[in-house]
Amino acid sequence: MTESTLSSRDIALSEESTNTTNKLAFWNFFIAFAAFALALPMGAYQVLERSGMVPAIENAAVYYASTSTHGVLMAYVLSTFFIMGFGYHTAVHSLKQKLWSPTFAWAGFWIAAIGVVLAAIPLLTGHASVLYTFYPPEIAHPSFYIGAALLVVGSWFWCIDMVVSTVTWKRANPGKPVPLVMYGTVLNAMLWLWTSIGVASEVLFQLIPVSMGWADSLDPGLSRVLFSETLHAIVYFWLFPCYLVMYAILPKEAGGKLFSDEIARVAFVMLFIFSVPIGMHHLYMDPIVAAGWKLLHMFGTFMVAVPTLITGFTIIATLEIAGRLRGGKGLFGWLKTLDYQNPVVLASVFSLLMLTVGGWGGVINASYSLNALVHNTQWVPGHFHLIYGGTTIIMYFAAAYWLWPKITGHQLFSNKLVITQLWLWFVGMWITTIPWHYLGIIGQPRRVDTLQAYQQSEELVRSWDFSMLIMNFGALTLLVSGLLFVYILFMTSRQPMVSDSERVVSYSEAIHPPLQVPHLLNSLSFWNWAMLIYLVASYGYPVLQFWFIGTPESPAWGY
Amino acid sequence: MKELPEEEQKKILESSPKGTWVIMFIYGVLFTLGFLYFWFELFVARGPVK
Repeated sequence: MTESTLSSRDIALSEESTNTTNKLAFWNFFIAFAAFALALPMGAYQVLERSGMVPAIENAAVYYASTSTHGVLMAYVLSTFFIMGFGYHTAVHSLKQKLWSPTFAWAGFWIAAIGVVLAAIPLLTGHASVLYTFYPPEIAHPSFYIGAALLVVGSWFWCIDMVVSTVTWKRANPGKPVPLVMYGTVLNAMLWLWTSIGVASEVLFQLIPVSMGWADSLDPGLSRVLFSETLHAIVYFWLFPCYLVMYAILPKEAGGKLFSDEIARVAFVMLFIFSVPIGMHHLYMDPIVAAGWKLLHMFGTFMVAVPTLITGFTIIATLEIAGRLRGGKGLFGWLKTLDYQNPVVLASVFSLLMLTVGGWGGVINASYSLNALVHNTQWVPGHFHLIYGGTTIIMYFAAAYWLWPKITGHQLFSNKLVITQLWLWFVGMWITTIPWHYLGIIGQPRRVDTLQAYQQSEELVRSWDFSMLIMNFGALTLLVSGLLFVYILFMTSRQPMVSDSERVVSYSEAIHPPLQVPHLLNSLSFWNWAMLIYLVASYGYPVLQFWFIGTPESPAWGY
Repeated sequence: MKELPEEEQKKILESSPKGTWVIMFIYGVLFTLGFLYFWFELFVARGPVK
């Protein structure tokens, strides 16, 4: 049985099941994009404030509250709710079965949503200005940590729903390959279950007790190691759905077929396994972890570049096939015949282009020696904005444009505006992040609201001026693009209804749809065992050492 | 856009993505040059921390 036969098999989903999934997807997306809309102006404000070119808005307290809120909303709320909404929709439409438990899914949604409200209140009132990476021994209001914990717990409900749905399908379809898009989704759910253990442990056993006054001190070294277990794999949690759109939706939208189903599965399992034991490349400059462990994590980080390269190759090959099927000739003629008026095609091309520089920058960060050159400089925000804000978010836009008519039933508002919005985001992201990369190389620190402290070195500060001016234009372009995105979604809700046929969800086929796939490329349990072993090997001792050595604790400070 | 004959479509689907290989090769070269520039011109050239 092939995936193509599965998708064409007439297994009608009940109307009730489809409506429930559409509602779940809609409300998850609603919170995701509401968070985006709230965080977006804060980002623009921070750029303007930091540039020092608008003295009237300079205020350290507001800057750090805004930076913390922007980070939490964009990195945790937007991503988590988007991934959950996309996952519920994918599970039902790719497996052609009803959701395992809608009640369970709604419970997870409400727990996460309440968590967001609890975290947002101290963030917006300046009682949680600890940045999105927490940075103990800085301590925020307990409500912030409780809210963050609830957001994570709510997302675990989604993970369980994805795993149970897939296992149920596998039992009902023995020996058949799980549809590619669902295989990636369930691996991402398992990845999040494993990787969120780090941040959950830090919040539950260190930050909440101290913020509640139950403990007087904590070990910041242990916190940083635990957080690192989550910190880098979370990037792949964010990226996974982007790759899924590229593998499962783009080929059809581009007018072709996926280059290879099996290669995609190899990339997925590699992403799953290699994305976790790499977090210590964030700790290269910290004395709390021995050099050998950092070296191990450096190799792990290089390994995770491999599935990204595989994805790059497979998706470009898929686009080449589509371009040739549309009449493109010669070595690069197919690039001209691609349908750049299709939001999914355009966003995918932009996403890959941003990934080229973002991926290269990631390898610089991962290199033990070179990291010293850019550590804690403005290069780092440049890198993660290009990867997350650029490569990832532009695919979230594309997914939303593809899904919105299907889940709301309304026609997408103005394809011309959609294309304009994507172009503005692409251009704005470069104008913002290239100066940041450059500023980092010439020594500008990150995480400071004002550069007044560096005035004793006038020549150094003057060398930053031009890049600081340019980044303002980038930030404002991104602001316009982001607001346009929200406007388009809002206006779509006022458009006429689409026909039923336009609401049918179907995924792309591979050139050679697999009759069977090797067991390991369809397995869940094997990779979970592999993950457990890899995780214990790479994090077991570095975490336990804090008890062996008895490192000194630090009193909490801040709130 | 006019649809290609079935035979030609099949040929395209079965052919090697030559353009993609060239793009990946160019990217690999640029990637390596960028890394080497970073290493020799920005890192090593600045010397030890004073």
